This record gives sequence, structure tokens and C-alpha cells, in this order.
Amino acid sequence: MPLARRIPPGTRQPGGEPRRIRGTTARRRLAADRFGRWLVAAGGVGIIATILGILLFILIEVWPLFGGARVEPLAGVRDARLDPAALVIDEYRTHAVSLDRDGRVRIVDLERGVVDDELPLAGDVGAPDGPPTALAPVSGRPVVAGGFADGRVVVRTVSFAISFDDTGRRLVAPEVSAPTVLAAPGTEGRTVVRLAVAASPAGDELAVAAAWADGTLHVFHTTREENDFTGEVETSVEDRPLEPLAGGPPAALAVSARGERVLAATADGRLALYEAGDPRPSSVSGPGAPVTALTWLVGDRAAVVGRKDGAIEVWFPIRDRGETRSRIVFVRAFPPRDAPIAVLAPSLRNKGFVALDRGGGAGLYHSTSRRTLWRGEAGEAARTLVLAPRADGLLVGGSGQLALWRVDNPHPEISLGTLFGKVWYEGYPGPAWVWQSTGGTDDAEPKLSLVPLLVGTLKGTFYSLILAIPIGVLGAMYASQFMHPRLRNAVKPVVEIMAALPSVVLGFLAGLWLAPLIQRVFPGLLLTLVLVPLAVIAAGAVWHRLPARLRHRVPDGLEVVAFAAAIVAAMWLSFELSPWVESMVFGGSFPDWIHAVSGIPYDQRNAVIVGIAMGFAVIPIIFSVAEDAFSNVPRTLISGSLALGASRWQTVTRIVLPTASPGIFSAVMIGFGRAIGETMIVLMATGNTPIMSWFPFNGFRTLSANIAVEIPEAPYGGTLYRTLFFSALLLFALTFVINTVAEVVRQRLRGRYADL
Amino acid sequence: MTTPDSMPVPPKGAVPDAAAGRDPALDPGIEDPIFSVHGLSLHYGDKQALHDISIEIPRNRITAFIGPSGCGKSTFLRCFNRLNDLLDNVTIRGDILFEGRSIFSPEVEINTLRRRIGMVFQKSNPFPKSIYENIAYGPRIHGVRDRRRLDEIVERSLRAAALWDEVKDRLHDNALGLSGGQQQRLCIARAIAVEPDVVLLDEPCSALDPLATARIEELMQDLKENYTLIIVTHSMQQASRVSDYTAFLYLGRLIEYGVTEQLFIKPRKKETEDYITGRFG
Repeated sequence: MPLARRIPPGTRQPGGEPRRIRGTTARRRLAADRFGRWLVAAGGVGIIATILGILLFILIEVWPLFGGARVEPLAGVRDARLDPAALVIDEYRTHAVSLDRDGRVRIVDLERGVVDDELPLAGDVGAPDGPPTALAPVSGRPVVAGGFADGRVVVRTVSFAISFDDTGRRLVAPEVSAPTVLAAPGTEGRTVVRLAVAASPAGDELAVAAAWADGTLHVFHTTREENDFTGEVETSVEDRPLEPLAGGPPAALAVSARGERVLAATADGRLALYEAGDPRPSSVSGPGAPVTALTWLVGDRAAVVGRKDGAIEVWFPIRDRGETRSRIVFVRAFPPRDAPIAVLAPSLRNKGFVALDRGGGAGLYHSTSRRTLWRGEAGEAARTLVLAPRADGLLVGGSGQLALWRVDNPHPEISLGTLFGKVWYEGYPGPAWVWQSTGGTDDAEPKLSLVPLLVGTLKGTFYSLILAIPIGVLGAMYASQFMHPRLRNAVKPVVEIMAALPSVVLGFLAGLWLAPLIQRVFPGLLLTLVLVPLAVIAAGAVWHRLPARLRHRVPDGLEVVAFAAAIVAAMWLSFELSPWVESMVFGGSFPDWIHAVSGIPYDQRNAVIVGIAMGFAVIPIIFSVAEDAFSNVPRTLISGSLALGASRWQTVTRIVLPTASPGIFSAVMIGFGRAIGETMIVLMATGNTPIMSWFPFNGFRTLSANIAVEIPEAPYGGTLYRTLFFSALLLFALTFVINTVAEVVRQRLRGRYADL
Repeated sequence: MTTPDSMPVPPKGAVPDAAAGRDPALDPGIEDPIFSVHGLSLHYGDKQALHDISIEIPRNRITAFIGPSGCGKSTFLRCFNRLNDLLDNVTIRGDILFEGRSIFSPEVEINTLRRRIGMVFQKSNPFPKSIYENIAYGPRIHGVRDRRRLDEIVERSLRAAALWDEVKDRLHDNALGLSGGQQQRLCIARAIAVEPDVVLLDEPCSALDPLATARIEELMQDLKENYTLIIVTHSMQQASRVSDYTAFLYLGRLIEYGVTEQLFIKPRKKETEDYITGRFG
């Protein structure tokens, strides 16, 4: 009973009876009042909570993108015989194959922690004298190779056969193939000093680059072909000699899976790139610190170089336009490590790699995003390491032991730099902003720059607003200030119905009807820009010359009907003249002409189409809000201005327009918000090409359309999926910032016109 | 009260010449009127608001229109500067001669007409601009560009409206920051900045306190020297205080028109007497 509480205690309450009646009424009213207040508050808080909830959900989906990798110990094997120079691990991280320095291949069961089997690398092909003189470092693929003092190179591939027992348990059976012996003419009896091996993803192609003590270089490319009918396996070997490097055998070697690109490091730290079809190097880089580790990343279009001073660098072979040979170009460097780099092992899943330095420090890196995802200690004894095929494990081998680490590295390719900065992708001549979420091949990297989409969003918004703002605002000004009220009462609802048109209909019409039409009659459209204003001016002049009696017969504000006829006639004339203008001015075809003049081909679905279609969607919003703003200017101000002898035009431009400016600003901002978030029209009326261009006659892709296009292709929880959520967050932020700025500006404007 | 020689004031309490066939209750015998209204009727759609009004407004005098609410006095006032043109559905019959020429003739430039016939509204309506810009607005739209000349006009108008001393230090502040009485005087200053011949005042003091009202009334006496003033007021005291001539309108008809003192002291019509003695209205 709030009413009773307000009476101070001890006060004599006059007339108990009437007070009670007042009390009951008040209580019921107060209850209704309280309920109403509660309901309104609940609604308001509910809306805020919903929006915050959506924001929170998006944030939760986006957050993992920017986390690093987690690496934790999983299993270990101790066996004194182990001394790996290279390692192979299976997909399920159950078995490993270690190529040890004593020239033996040992099969390790990682789950049980024992060495199951061992065999000599050379096998029964004739025992060369002593252990191998060179062992190929880790390639990430299931292949091992060693070179011997007699000049021979032996390669063995490893396969992991999967079967299931009665209980459904998975059984992995590692199997080491028979040795393949590679020998180059003229190298007999010479010691193999450096070796690199690579294999294609399917395992049917192998490449080995070898260097002998006298500096001879060869690259072998073996292709295994299985006859579908007979089941016979035929292996062909291609041997390609390379011109020796100046200054002796290379310090490090790397070979691509098909042998077409070999990278060799000289003693003074230069990188020499050999390409197929030419024994001489295509390109040699400048000198640097001695190279201690070298590997191609998956796809063989980027090489990682580790140096004695701890530097880790990425180099690309770049083929310039019109050239047949590539240059080897420095692209980026990672923070250097404290000790010389011992091993670099590529990931088979992405453009990541692991590095091990001689001090036992290990690191997980991603080339494109330039991120160091993890750094840790592998121990002083660590000699080599390899990433599991699914990039979910890291096997580190040292003298007498193997250690398996679990790697959780979901989104290595994303950083703020890759989302917004220029990134130098593999195969590109330089850094660029590119959106290309999937590639033609498995080893193509996703290119997830949001900048082309932001540019597309702003481009679409710009072209629609340059159409919608003048028409919307001036139309509203005319309708509210000059038009006859009877006509206005008909026009306003009609324009507002325009806003109710589903945007998918507009997009459909724009893409399938308007786009081909505009392509045909664009010169006519240009002509309307000239002829319609001329027609209006001419009509005005004629109107002015009409006898006053005739003019006064038409009520003020209805003369627009006569003007509309002039406008329609001018438009008709424009489109009738279109073919003539096209042949006179544009040489018969406007699309060809614009292509010739600008060098950019004309796209049928382009920014002009979107400008018109989206403008059509935005005009009613701007018109409606602006018309209200104009109409809300107090009549007394207009009368005051007219009573001073101002004309209607002077009154509108000097009094009405400034007074209505906060509302007009709101109208423009609401239109802006609509245009920036519009999806269906841009989806259907542009080619959705994520290009960076402000040219009006080509397409673009907006953030919103991108989400609609890509979300069906994005697996749940994947990098693309989270990146799309990030772009949603960006849209959210963009709208939020624009609305806030708009509101602040509007309040400030309104402050100037307060108390009206 | 000074009077130009060409404009003799009728002797106080004198009975107008009835011999000329005029109705003495409607015609106080004004020579050289600035406005002559002949048989003016006004319809809002089907509804007739003014019935056949004929009246002559004297030059450089204050004429008051009084009458109960809804009697059409404001509508009538708005005929003088054709502000009713803005409204839809208004039809006007009859004529108003300004300086002997019809204001409804097609040759009349309405903007020039309104410059010469200024108006002050019931609710003060300063533009949402600075004090200076409010005054300069009128001269500017009539083509005055010279800054020095504008400064002069602003100062002269504000002095004429007795506002100069109060606002001279804040000419560039927003006019909406002025008090109600100051805003109304600003509107008067704005009206006279374009140098009109006539100022129409539509209940200019209805929203003001007595002190502000007194200042405006004082101002009107000063302005009478140079301008013809027509004031619509619902306050009979105000009409009797400030005006030289008073017209009583009732239900859209002109009931009585005469020298103010005579109309208030010795009304000729019963309705007038009933109204001014407070029997209705």
C-alpha cells in the first residue's frame, strides 16, 4: 500500500472512510501501472538482451579464429637403437617409421611404445660398404631415402594398411616397400653427400634430388603406373642432370613432388632454383647466412629456408608475365630463433610448417598468415621432427627416443593481417587483397581477405545512394512543400508500398530483365540525364509564358502533372535515340566502347544495375522519413518566412531545409543502413566477383552476399565458417558505428533547432 | 501622439457624417485610407467564415479588430497579406484595395506585396537561426548582400523594436534562447527590417505576461509614426489602450467600426455593447 506509506506515522488520518475508497482505487491503478511499467521494461530489456545475445553468439563463433595452437605431450618411446634422421608417421598417429643414422629403418608402435621391427634401408639390393653417407630429411610424405658411398641412392616408401578386427577396432599395419635403387651415369663410386626426397599426395610419383661429393647434381622423378587390367605395376624413372653449383656440393636441397623444381643452397647462403627443361639454374639469390634447412611447403610453390643464424624465411618462385623462367624471391621472414635451424618439416594440410633448432627449441608456424602459433622446447636430444598427415600431431625424434605431441591448431591461416592486410599469396606476383575461399586444387590455400568484400559493400552502397539520396530527398521536399495536398495523399502511400516489395523480386528483375535491357539501351539512359532536365526547364519556360488566366486555373501543386508528361516524353525520346547515339558516339556498341576506353570489360550485371535496383529499394525509405521531416517543420516558420515576402523556394531552401536537416540526415542514414545490409539484390544483380574496383560497369561482392554465397560451402566450425561469422560481426559493427555516428550528429543538429 | 497634417483625426466623440449615406456604425469617415475592403466574403470549403465585410483602414494609425473567438478576425487579418492563399479550399469574393490597387489582381507580385505588408503572429516564431540572421533574413531574400548595410538594418530594426540594448552583445546566439517577450519583439523587428508600410499583428501578446505585453504596447505607439498597424486582439482592454480605431467582428460579420473611444464609451450597436460590457464572449 504505497499510498499509506506516504503518510508520516503519527499523522491523524482524516475521515477513514473516504481514505479507504481512495486507497482501493489507487491500489488497483498502481498495480496496473506497475504491471505496465514492468511489461514495458521487460520488453525493452528483452530487446537489448536479444541483441547482446546475438552479438555474444557471433563473438563465441569468431573467437577461436585468433587463438594460437595448443601442443601437449601424448606418448613417448624409448629405445637405444633409435637415432632418427627422418621420420614418417601415419594418419592416426599410431605408428612411426624412423630412418636411423645407422642405415636401418625401424617401425615403431607409438601406442605400445616399442620398436616392432627393423630392416636395413638398402635391403637385399647388395650391401654397400658402411652406413648411408646421406639421408634425406623429413618431407612429410611417407617416403625415406638414403645415399651411399658407392654413389647409389635407395628410396623406400612406407604405407599403412588399415583393417578392422571383429570388435571394430582399427588395426594399422605399417609396410615398407621394396627398395628402389637410383643411380646416375658417371656417379658410380662417388659418395652421395646431400639428398632430398618428395612424393605426390597419391604416392604414385616420387622425386629425389641428390648431390655427390664432386658437386654433381641429379634429380630423379619416378612414376608408378598400375595397369588397370593386368594389375601390373610399371615404374618409370626419369633422370635429369643439373648444372653443379659453383663452390662445391649444396649445403641443403629441396625437391618438389614431381621433380620439376629443385632448390639448392650454396655454401655462401645463396638459393639456386632449377626448373624442368633447363639444367642451369633459372635464378640465384643473393648471399646470406649459410642455409641449414630447406623444404618446399605443400603445393611446392613456396620454400622455407632455415639459416645458421636462426633466421626462418619464406621464398617464392615467381614467374613474371611473358617469362618462361622463374625468379626466386624473398617474401617474408619469421622472428629468428636463437640457434641454427636444424629441421623444417611442412604440414600436409596447410601452408604451415614446424621448425627445430639445434638448441632443441621447436616452433609451429604458418607461412601465409605469418603467425608463430606455438613455441616450445623439444629437448637437447631432439634431432628431427615431423607433423602428422592431419596436422594434429608432432613427432619429435632424438637419440634413443621418440616423443609424440598432440597438436590442436584449428585456424592457423587467419590473422588480422590476412583478413585486412595485403598478403603475398603463393603464385602471386606481389602482395594483394584477395578473397578466394576455395581453390582449384587441394593444395591451393584459401585466401580470406575481407577488404575486397568491404570495398564491394561500399561500392554497392555508394552507387545506390548516389541515385537514392537526390531522388528520395528532393522528391520528399517536392511532395511536402510544393505538391498539391490531394496529389501528395496519393503519392506518399504509393511510394511507401515500393518499400514493401520483397528484395528478392527486385534482385530477380534487376538480374534477369534490367541488366540485359540496360546493356542494350545504356546510351539512352545517359541521354535521359541530359534530356530530362532540359525537358523540365523547357516545360517551365512554356508554363511561365502561358497566359496568367490559364495558369491560375491549375491549382498550385497540380502543375506537376503537366511536367510529368514532359518528363515521360523526354525519357521516351532518350530511349528512341539510344541506338542512334550508340552508333554515332560509341561506335555501335557501348559495352565495347567502354571496354576500349577504360580497359575494363563491361559486365552485364554491374554496379549501375545494383545502383538502380537497390536505389529502388532505398528510395521509399529515404523518401518516407525525409517527407516526415519536411512536414514536421512548423507551419508558423513557413508562414513567418512567407509573410516577410520570401518566395516558396526561398522559404524551402533557407528555412525548411535547415530546420528539417536532422530528419533528412536520419533518412539518409537509415537508407545507408538498408543499403549496406541488403543481400538479395546484390546477390542476384551482380556477378558476385570479389574484386577491388570502383568502376561502375563491373560487378562486386558484398559482405552480406558473401555470407549467403559461402555459408553452404563452409563446414561447421571450420576456418571459412568462422571467417563468415567474423564478416557478420564486421557488418554488425559497421551498422552500429554508422547508427551511433548518425544519432550523435542528429542529436547535435537537433540541439540547434530545439524548442520548436 | 503626433499626427501628420494630411491625416486629420476625427474629433473625439464626434459623430461621423451621416449625410453622405453612410452607416455611421460602420464608417467613421476615413480619408485617404491605406486599405479599402469591399464586400469581402471568405469560404473555407462550404463554410463561410467572412460575410461581406467592407471597411477602410486609416494610414499611420493603429486599428484593432476585436471580437469573440472564432469570429473570423484572424482570418480577416490574413486576407490583407494573402496568407490565406496557402490554405487549400479557400475561396475569396470581394476585393481589398491596397493604396488603391487590388491585392488580388494577377499583376500583383505576391512577394512584393508581403514585403510591404508585414506580419507578426500570435505565437512568436523566430527562425532557428541567430538573432542577427533572423533580422537579416528578410533583407537578404530581397537582395541585400552588403554586410555593412545588413549590420545597419539589424541595428535599426532591433532599436525600433526596443530590443537592441538587450541583445546587442549576443547577436550571434540562437534566437530560440530569448524569452517569450523578447522573441515576440524580435519578430516585430524582423517584420520591420524589410521596411513595410503596414504591420499586421495577430494577437501578438496572447502568450505574454503583463510586463512583456506592456512593452509591446509601448512599442506599438512608437511604431505608429512610421507604419500602419492592424492588431487583432481578444483583449478589449488592449484594444482600448493601444488603438485609434476599433472594429468589432461577430460571427464573420463586421458589426461596428469606429473611433476607439467612441466605440467603447458609446457603442452604437447592441451586440457591441453586450460584448464590451462582458455579457458574452
